[in-house]
Amino acid sequence: MHDRPAEVIAAPSSSGPARRAIFRWSWRLFRREWRQQILVLALVALAVAGTTVGTALAYNAGQPRDATFGTANSSMTFSGPDNADVAAARKAFGTVERIDHQSIPVPGSPSRLDLRAQDPEGTYSRPTLRLVSGRFPNGGAEVAMTASAATTFGVRIGGHLDVNGHARRLVGIVENPLDLNDEFALVAPGQADPPAQVAILFEASDHAVNAFQPSVHATSVATRGTLDTTLAATVVLALETIGLLFVGLVAAAGFTVMAQRRLRALGMLGALGATDRHIRSAMVANGAVVGVVGSVTGAVTGLVAWVALTPKFEDLVKHRIARFHLPWWAIVVAIVLATVTSIAAAWWPARSAARASIVAALSGRPSPQKPAHRFAGAGGVFLAIGVACLAFAHQDTPKPALIIGGTIATTFGMLFLGPLFIRMLAMLGRRAPIMVRLAVRDLARYQARSAAALGAISLALGIAATVAISAAAAAVPEAATNLPANQAIAYLEPATGLGEDTNAVQVMSSADVAKLAAKVSALAASLHAHTVLPLSVAINPSSPTVSVDPAQLNASPNASGGSVSIRRVVGGSAAPGAILIQIPASLGRVTIISNGAQSGFQISDQVPLYVATPAVLHRYGIKADQIAKTTDIITSRTDLHGLVVHAPPRDDGAGVRRGPEQWHPTIQHIRFSTDASHTSDPTTLVTVHALQHFGLKAVQAAWLIETPRPLTAIQISAAQHAAAIAGFTVETHQSRPSNARLRDGATLIGLLLALGVLAMTVGLIRSETANDLRTLAATGASSMARRSLTGATAGALALLGALLGTGGAYVALVAWHRRDLHPLTRVPYLNLATILVGLPIIAISAGWLLSGREPAAVGHQPLE
Amino acid sequence: MTALELRDVSKVYGVGPTEVHALRNVSLTVDAGVLVAVMGPSGSGKSTLLTIAGSLELPTTGEVIVEGTSLASMSRNERARLRRRSIGYVFQDFNLLAGLTSLENVALPLELDGVGAKRARVAGMQALEELGMSDRASRFPDELSGGERQRVAIARAVVGDRHLLLADEPSGALDSVNAEGVIRLVRAACQRGVAGVIVTHDAQLASWADRVVFLRDGRIVDQTMPPPGPESLLTPDARS
Amino acid sequence: MSVRHALLALLSEGPKYGLQLRQEFEARTGEVWPLNIGQVYTTLQRLERDGLVESDDEGEEGPQKGFRITADGAAELAEWLRTPPDMTSPPRDELVIKVLVALTLPGVDVRDVVQVHRRYVVELMQQWTRLKDDATDDEVGFLLVVDAELFRLDAVIRWLDAADGRLARLAADPPPVVTGSPLLPPRLRRRMGARP
Repeated sequence: MHDRPAEVIAAPSSSGPARRAIFRWSWRLFRREWRQQILVLALVALAVAGTTVGTALAYNAGQPRDATFGTANSSMTFSGPDNADVAAARKAFGTVERIDHQSIPVPGSPSRLDLRAQDPEGTYSRPTLRLVSGRFPNGGAEVAMTASAATTFGVRIGGHLDVNGHARRLVGIVENPLDLNDEFALVAPGQADPPAQVAILFEASDHAVNAFQPSVHATSVATRGTLDTTLAATVVLALETIGLLFVGLVAAAGFTVMAQRRLRALGMLGALGATDRHIRSAMVANGAVVGVVGSVTGAVTGLVAWVALTPKFEDLVKHRIARFHLPWWAIVVAIVLATVTSIAAAWWPARSAARASIVAALSGRPSPQKPAHRFAGAGGVFLAIGVACLAFAHQDTPKPALIIGGTIATTFGMLFLGPLFIRMLAMLGRRAPIMVRLAVRDLARYQARSAAALGAISLALGIAATVAISAAAAAVPEAATNLPANQAIAYLEPATGLGEDTNAVQVMSSADVAKLAAKVSALAASLHAHTVLPLSVAINPSSPTVSVDPAQLNASPNASGGSVSIRRVVGGSAAPGAILIQIPASLGRVTIISNGAQSGFQISDQVPLYVATPAVLHRYGIKADQIAKTTDIITSRTDLHGLVVHAPPRDDGAGVRRGPEQWHPTIQHIRFSTDASHTSDPTTLVTVHALQHFGLKAVQAAWLIETPRPLTAIQISAAQHAAAIAGFTVETHQSRPSNARLRDGATLIGLLLALGVLAMTVGLIRSETANDLRTLAATGASSMARRSLTGATAGALALLGALLGTGGAYVALVAWHRRDLHPLTRVPYLNLATILVGLPIIAISAGWLLSGREPAAVGHQPLE
Repeated sequence: MTALELRDVSKVYGVGPTEVHALRNVSLTVDAGVLVAVMGPSGSGKSTLLTIAGSLELPTTGEVIVEGTSLASMSRNERARLRRRSIGYVFQDFNLLAGLTSLENVALPLELDGVGAKRARVAGMQALEELGMSDRASRFPDELSGGERQRVAIARAVVGDRHLLLADEPSGALDSVNAEGVIRLVRAACQRGVAGVIVTHDAQLASWADRVVFLRDGRIVDQTMPPPGPESLLTPDARS
Repeated sequence: MSVRHALLALLSEGPKYGLQLRQEFEARTGEVWPLNIGQVYTTLQRLERDGLVESDDEGEEGPQKGFRITADGAAELAEWLRTPPDMTSPPRDELVIKVLVALTLPGVDVRDVVQVHRRYVVELMQQWTRLKDDATDDEVGFLLVVDAELFRLDAVIRWLDAADGRLARLAADPPPVVTGSPLLPPRLRRRMGARP
């Protein structure tokens, strides 16, 4: 017998040495299998990096402070130099910051630029101003501008420009770091005199704001909501949840393969007398190492990527981002949870490995897998729960818990449905060529690892699809821009129109009109236009040519003005959202204004009213007999119903003009043959009947110029320059901030993530079937066969992942939008095609291209 | 002393039409210091007999008694402890854990049993020395020849106070000289008091055993009598 | 087994007496093949007659008579070492015949017969192996002889295993019985019969 020390035999079964031995073995294995481990580690790192960047972006995407409020919580706007109200507000609220506004006409364009007299060191507004270069303006002879405004005006620092009659020198380039879309000119406080509007910022409770009684000049009162921060936190949390799910799936896929690779060794450990716990701890130790290294690496990579990509993101979210303004708690939680998740992901296959029969494990036979239909049942239940959660989460105030729960449940549902789909694919592939058949059958046979891989791929693509679909659903249709890219409208009024003084009417002599018409024709010819359509507006022949501000119109309907306008009522006595056609005492140009802006002095989405002249009707394919005799207004728009219209005041013959009355114009909806849905297009026309009925006169006001090709920036700039000299203005297509880039970006990131996961999992799965490849090579299969096998595996996973991801995204979004499915009809076809068709093709080609190489060790049986 | 006893053991895999009777009413007793060989063609159930004797599987019916304790009454963890402490395995080709050196492989069962690393190494080194493998102690399995790997496997199977050595074709892939070296080691272990069971289809290997049991279709059909003295072979008429 | 050539081999080491030759022969073959002294002298006489050995002068027959190998003897020995034994004709093996007979006899389980022989051969092998176990490493000749016996017996076991396997397959899937078919194919019978 061995003369071993007696105490060795009698040693108590303490777990310390055993754990050390197991850890030592795991560590050595980790070093030996570093290629596979690096793959899993890279997957985890990638997922954590993605989560980190996503979290940081979500945290910063919602504006931390408001672009107009600065650090104040309330604002109030008065029209005109309303010193009395400002003084009253100061008395009521204490510290009040005052910002005066004027507007500057943009030469050659109907747009106007906001001019602010604002203190760069303002109590509240300080965060809304940042000096890019030069310095802030001082005194009466200096001005600063945003970079693009300076370009529009063609001035550089040191150059001079005319600001509402004052020559000023441009001394600095500034920006609103909280809203990079904010275009303005800046002068020293008090230099916008007299102001068109005065805005004040202050801190006050809602109660105090409501109690304050301003004069009629207060055009808007606003308080900053607090919803933003909770929404951002919800988004961060949801993203983190999804990111962790992703980490878990990716790690589970990796560790399942790893457990399979180690199956015999684990069986051997069992035969040596290792308990289930020992065996589990061997895998879990591995999971912990991969989890810690992977998540820390991922977080660091993510932060580096975040810092490097911040300028791109600033461009995307249109405000400056402080690089280190990050949800540190969320990142730390992500690291910790990612580690825990990968430990759990390692634990799961370890558990089944420990439970498996030692004899089966020793001979390398994996334990029999659960039937796919059982998974499918669980998947169905999860999916139902997820859909229900999402459907109920979309209340007036979204419920974060339901959103997160719903997302997780939906994801799990799709994950559990995976095996069923793999089975179905294997069934479909029965008649395919041998290599494809082998590939899909392998996927079905090694369900544990293929299902987790499929889950990770589906999730990556599902996120991409969700973002793309939601972005498309949220997108304002292209038609809602002012004009198509190949159209321009030349207005007779210099520097008016879409700016503030939309109601001003300039009556010109017919000789002047003819002169300008010739110039417009010359301009059209230079643009190679094929159509020049004269447009007329309806004016009251007796109205004076007074420029009237619409804000004042809104505040005091009795104010004298020059045109008829229709505008949505934002507040006040009329029902919110209703459309009000207002016709000032002296009828001027008739326009419809939809006032979407909250701040009270910005007006957007004007719908002009033009006269339905025969030329216009012909252009849009409308026959005269289509128009009913009593119709006052024809329109192609569907959103003008329910108008509350004030009747045009009419001269009662005795020189006394009556005030506005309720007018119910007969509006007829007509389909225009050519697309006429842009806001500046003549989409709404006053009929001859209305002209006669109200004694209005059609006056030549504009020309619609249509070119065969989209106008270039150079053409536009030249046209506006020419217009500025000739004394008219040119309106062209203005691109609105579009989320198309976000959509494309999300699709691209999703594709890259999915491709990364795909490459790694296919690599792992195929490394497991190295024996098959050896056998194939031995039976004389060419590199073509290897390529087909890998290509088919990658393609099958990609296709299934794309289908499941997109399907899951649609299921979730349909549940979310259940009240109004209309937005979902805007389908981002290109993005979805990229996911559903492009990705599988990329996967197949990549698999094909990269797998031509002979397996590294043909004939060399790896020792385990 | 009886180290291993199989009482009326049967093992059935699968159910219904796929039912396979791997073992049918097998009874076998192995005393300490005795080497028993189980011979039979492929599929005769000999490997199953070994895995059941080694507590890796439980019999469908019948009783397995190792060192006086019935396996049926043990929990999974208790059986694992039994394997750590009393049972040593040698398999045909896959025995050592890659990633652990020879010495660490040998010391592993002791460490799993909670013996401190240092003492386990001392015991492991001793086992390796006895098999003449002490100069290979720090080699990894893939740096060893096939014969050396089996030697290390035997060292691991006997390290500590093991009373039962189970070997499944322990010389399977080895040439005859190496095979003889391996079986001599097993025999030597038995002579020190270990009860040994080897499963093989190789008669030369089996002839080293004190008793050869013949297995056919899951049944023990025959066994050799205790051998007569070798002198009988040396009489002149033996060659006539 | 050629005692003749074994003696030549021993004499090639140097001149030896008859008794000495017998002792060395037995020692080298591990006493597996006993040899009586009469057989030694008869063989030596024949060798002398053929001119392969020569004896010490005319000394009387007896244990003291020395022998040494001639040049012809050395050549004969070298020739013999390199001449393969006749392995082309199968030996008439009693065991094979017994199994073949058992096949034809009704009421006899051939596999049982096979097993009886198998057990016997394994028991025999156990005895040889025991001898081998007791031998020391320097008894090379003895070990080689034991190995030869073991391999021969192992071959028998393998044949029995193969026969058992064939019979098991036959029992599971019996071929159609053709009456009057000869037990052995004619070709094999002819060759077996051709052996003297």
